[in-house]
Amino acid sequence: MSENSEHHDHIYSTKLQDKIERNTLLMFVFTAIAVAVGGIVEIVPLFYLPNTAMSGGDGTFNGTSHKDLQGNAIPMDKIVWNPTTSAHKTLADWLPGDGVRPYTALETAGRYVYIREGCFLCHSQMIRPFRDEKDRYGHYSIAEESMYDHTYQWGSKRTGPDIARLGGKYSDEWHRKHLKYPRDVVPESVMPNFFFLDKAPVDAEKTRKTLEVMTKMPFNPVPKTIYTDAYIAGAAEELKGKTEMDAVIAYLQSLGNHVKFEEGVNYRD
Amino acid sequence: MSEDQNPSGGGQGQSRAQHIASAESGNRNPYQNPDGGITTTGHLWDDDLADFVNQPPKWWMLGLTASALWVVIYWTMYPAIPLAINGTFFKGVGLPGTGQWTAIKELAEDQAVLDAVRKPYEDKLKTMTPAAILADEELSKYVERSGKVLFSDNCGGCHGQNGVGTEQVGTKFAVREQGLMAPRLNDDDWLYGGKVDNIHETIAGGRQGMMTAHKDTLSAQQIDDVAKYVLAMSEGRGDSEAAGKKVFAESDCTACHGADAKGIQAMGSANLTDKVWRFDGSLEGIKQTITYGVNSGDANARVAIMPNFTAAGKLSAVEMKKLAVYVYKFGGGQKEEAAPAPAAVAPAVEAVSAPVAEAK
Amino acid sequence: MEATQATPVKYDMDVVRWFTIAAVIYAVVGTLIGVYVASELAFPFLNFDIPEITFGRLRPLHTNAVIFAFGGCVLMATGFYIVQRTGATKLWSNTMAWFTFWGWNLIIVLAVITLPLGLSQGKEYAELPWWVDIMIAVVWLSYGLNYIMTIGIRKTSHIYVSNWFTMGMIVMITYLHVVNSLAIPVDWATSYSIYSGVQDAMIQWWWGHNAVGFYLTGGFLGIMYYFIPKQSGRPVFSYRLSVLHFWTLTFGYVWLGAHHLQYTALPDWTGSLGAAVSLAMIIPSWGGAMNGMMTLSGAWDKLRTDYILRFLVTAMAFYAMSTFDGPVMAIKSVNALSHYTDWTVGHVHAGALGWMSMISFGALYHMVKKLWNTEMYSDRLVNVHFWVALIGAVTYIVAMWVSGIMQGLMWRDYDEFGTLTYTFVESVSAMHPYYVMRAVGGAIFNLGAWIMLFNVVMTVRQASAVRGVNAVPAKA
Ligand code: HEC
Ligand code: HEC
Ligand code: HEC
Ligand code: HEM
Ligand code: HEM
Ligand SMILES: [Ca+2]
Ligand SMILES: [Ca+2]
Ligand SMILES: [Cu+2]
Repeated sequence: MSENSEHHDHIYSTKLQDKIERNTLLMFVFTAIAVAVGGIVEIVPLFYLPNTAMSGGDGTFNGTSHKDLQGNAIPMDKIVWNPTTSAHKTLADWLPGDGVRPYTALETAGRYVYIREGCFLCHSQMIRPFRDEKDRYGHYSIAEESMYDHTYQWGSKRTGPDIARLGGKYSDEWHRKHLKYPRDVVPESVMPNFFFLDKAPVDAEKTRKTLEVMTKMPFNPVPKTIYTDAYIAGAAEELKGKTEMDAVIAYLQSLGNHVKFEEGVNYRD
Repeated sequence: MSEDQNPSGGGQGQSRAQHIASAESGNRNPYQNPDGGITTTGHLWDDDLADFVNQPPKWWMLGLTASALWVVIYWTMYPAIPLAINGTFFKGVGLPGTGQWTAIKELAEDQAVLDAVRKPYEDKLKTMTPAAILADEELSKYVERSGKVLFSDNCGGCHGQNGVGTEQVGTKFAVREQGLMAPRLNDDDWLYGGKVDNIHETIAGGRQGMMTAHKDTLSAQQIDDVAKYVLAMSEGRGDSEAAGKKVFAESDCTACHGADAKGIQAMGSANLTDKVWRFDGSLEGIKQTITYGVNSGDANARVAIMPNFTAAGKLSAVEMKKLAVYVYKFGGGQKEEAAPAPAAVAPAVEAVSAPVAEAK
Repeated sequence: MEATQATPVKYDMDVVRWFTIAAVIYAVVGTLIGVYVASELAFPFLNFDIPEITFGRLRPLHTNAVIFAFGGCVLMATGFYIVQRTGATKLWSNTMAWFTFWGWNLIIVLAVITLPLGLSQGKEYAELPWWVDIMIAVVWLSYGLNYIMTIGIRKTSHIYVSNWFTMGMIVMITYLHVVNSLAIPVDWATSYSIYSGVQDAMIQWWWGHNAVGFYLTGGFLGIMYYFIPKQSGRPVFSYRLSVLHFWTLTFGYVWLGAHHLQYTALPDWTGSLGAAVSLAMIIPSWGGAMNGMMTLSGAWDKLRTDYILRFLVTAMAFYAMSTFDGPVMAIKSVNALSHYTDWTVGHVHAGALGWMSMISFGALYHMVKKLWNTEMYSDRLVNVHFWVALIGAVTYIVAMWVSGIMQGLMWRDYDEFGTLTYTFVESVSAMHPYYVMRAVGGAIFNLGAWIMLFNVVMTVRQASAVRGVNAVPAKA
């Protein structure tokens, strides 16, 4: 490119810009840097700053602390279930209000169906801190509540209602009818019929492997104290005779009642 | 094919030096601006691609500067810095007048406005009985409004929007169960009574009407007979089914549905003499109800569980009162004084069924 | 201009022809699936109780078909076309370009098979199974490497502006696809993201927004910078504007992803970072739109007779419109209303139908004429297509804006007693007329695509008939 320096035409931008425009490698490098900055600034801090539900694996959360109305820190094991400190030691004993827990085997199988059928394209699972969403759906969602959601399911469209706090709202029987033929119970609904889930057995082997995979995640894995080897090995037994309908209903019933929220406390600080 | 080769001259095939020289000399540049002055940068691609050296418009350059400023100002005013010191984020300097912004603060402010509107009503509701609320015109209007979403969210799934019921319609593509998932609440046929206190009791305590299965106690013939009788009763010609009438009287039916088959409120047993069907009013449907019962524990039994909303902890006491009044006001509610005379039950239904009966 | 060239450049245009034809076909297919999906929301019985075609499985097929099949083939056809012509050189590797063609189409076929079967990673626009993700990475890199190396062997001194944008797209999409797709497989069909919750959401929308920003916008701006000057025979309005447009957009767009997550469980700072830059993006975007439109100054009269130019210019108007709509939706108080509603869908399709499709149609017609060295079979049909596409797009967009705003207002409406006025289900039934209107608008738009397919097929046949040879000659 040496000939260019002799025959340099007029530059209408800057020397650097002109240089970049003449040099493929420079253009590549500058572009590659320019497009990297914004993403790094927004994403990387979410892995180490407070309030992002990034678990240290030992009950610590990057310095996250929620304070009650008196200004006392609410212990994190009140927010995220910790079997070692909790009175309830196993997934079977866990009760709503004990704190965020990972999914049981059946719920995990249901979550797979939820993703497969594209429910997340119509239903959000993220309640925003607005008064109308509080009236409609309940307490706003907090980061910890989806910390075990590998492949988050917040959704971006509410063709149907938000279901972040659906757990316990309807009976299993209602869900069965509704999922099979939504228009039977809600004539105005535009939701597809999912009657076929009732006939499909759950894939126990896939579910067992999924539980295993969840313990191997590099970020926010499920602790082996919860998914113990025995629990994973027993998954097939738990799923015996269950249909995908049972599974997806179990998943829906597990949503949103893990944390006991106190009125007036700021859970996002 | 010609297009695969460069058909014309221009800058393409030239060496870079040639290209630049020709561009600079000006005479190969076809885009000397006609009104003089503005030229292209002198670079030429693919025969005729060039760019003018026009400056971007002033407003645009100003806009660009303003945009950069805007970003900086916005980031200063709002929480926007991903740095935490001792676990605390810089929340921004805030907006003039309103102070620092956070999503939760915004929620608290909006909520306060609502709470102020609701408080006077809610305070009163706390101490009042459903019947007293019903008697107060303004309060019952408040309840009617605030009950709507409450009902839709908690009850509509089973009882249908506005209590119209949830008919299992059946489509061309699949066969399915027939019948209502839960009773209609906008008519004046009540299993457990239509006074506001009955309704309140239903919501607060739940209901689970039970009808035994008869598949072991009655023969297929008897079930067939009694089902025909029940169907005939609803059409006002019960006497035409003597065999069934006998089974009805001699089996356990009257224990629950009453000697007159009009149902017993305390048990929530259905009135079998009207045209209102809780489940399926076809002969097959009636036979199914009789054979397997309701909530009887049989695998084929019809399921009829009205949840206990107190136990579920989903609704507050005030909300349950609101719902009782709200359901009452669908129009089918029964007055406190006037205990329903048998003839007055379900006039709307009688009106519909009368012509049918006459036609027979 | 006369042809006095001593050493005429030969181009590798076969692969471009194939990509062009593929793009025209996928325009029909992708929007047809869109129409079906839209109809399912208007008339749910259309799900026909067949799992493979229920809304939840077909919607990803629609988005993948329009973005990756239609959009991708347009980008690759125009990309290989532009990079050769503006560099006055053949492709760095014609063989690799064919690999890209067959690889990309194989991926599309796999999408058509796997998505209806319910194989989904559960991330919007990144649903395809993990092993297809690997194939995408390989094929994308083959495209990117070939493209950048072709720039490297160009015979012109400067890199043309179109190629800046395309290079930006190639680099950014590589980052995005690799980082967002990191997952642990459970088996051949299923895998789960290595991130969860907050981190996964941010990475997904860093991907989601920038797939829009660099692929559906950046890549198509590259198209704009070539085809508008070419079709109008005018130089680009302002070189400085090109430079500023490119760098501000390239640097700025990346920050916008967070506007998809305002008020969610992410810390407040993330949304604010994204919202501020989103608003600031109006000016760079409008700079680009202006650069395209002003290129026509002095040649506006051409619009009366040049139907292809109509597509190109209308696209710029929609580009300006959707890059105004988007920033407005990024304002906290507006996003509070618009998020989760059809307003987003309206905005998406203002960009997708009005901007990205229109610019593609214009570019495709232009290329068909050049590639087969012929006139269109029917110019009138090009004009008909233009009007049909415009009417369809406007019908769609208006329907969704109205329904979206209505939805948002219904959800948050309180009466004088301080209670919610509407139930959720009331909002669902209120959407019905707009869902019907959207399906009709979409069907009209889809009709336009059929017209283009017909016209292109007839043009190619005519070109071969005239020459009495196969329209697709042996590889150059
Ligand atoms: C085409 C869009 C669509 C899809 C796909 C969809 N839904 Fe729905 N869903 C709706 C609509 C609309 C409603 C509101 C009306 C109703 O209750 O049916 C709804 C309501 C619901 C409700 C009741 C929520 C409540 O609080 O009342 C549940 C539970 C539900 N859907 C679960 C699912 C599951 C699970 C899937 C996937 C297997 C799914 N939906 C797929 C549109 C959809
Ligand atoms: C899971 C489904 C379900 C839900 C949710 C539900 N109900 Fe019911 N409801 C029923 C069933 C089933 C019955 C009939 C019970 C029986 O036959 O024993 C019933 C009965 C009633 C009755 C008595 C009707 C009569 O004829 O006497 C009233 C009143 C009622 N429900 C009101 C409500 C209200 C108000 C809500 C919301 C707070 C509600 N229900 C929620 C299923 C439901
Ligand atoms: C243990 C009490 C009990 C006995 C015994 C009983 N029933 Fe019932 N039956 C009920 C109750 C309670 C219901 C209403 C269930 C509901 O709506 O939830 C009912 C409902 C019905 C219905 C459905 C009505 C409708 O509207 O769909 C029919 C038909 C019926 N009974 C017939 C009979 C006959 C015939 C017999 C005797 C062979 C009988 N029942 C014995 C308690 C009983
Ligand atoms: C005939 C034309 C089209 C019709 C009828 C149509 C219809 C639809 C429908 C019904 C949805 C689902 C919306 C929802 O969930 O509520 C959708 C989503 C989408 N479509 Fe289209 N579409 C068309 C063309 C296109 C084109 C050409 C593109 C090009 C990129 C496109 C890109 C998208 C995207 C990105 C989404 C996802 C939007 C979101 O997640 O918010 N569509 N379309
Ligand atoms: C400066 C330009 C733009 C800005 C600031 C912008 C901003 C936004 C915002 C705020 C949303 C809604 C996010 C939410 O609430 O969920 C959105 C969604 C979207 N936009 Fe844009 N937009 C811009 C340009 C475009 C263009 C030109 C296109 C199309 C070619 C486009 C395609 C989309 C898509 C596909 C979505 C839907 C994402 C989803 O699935 O939820 N945007 N945009
Ligand atoms: Ca009734
Ligand atoms: Ca009756
Ligand atoms: Cu975006």
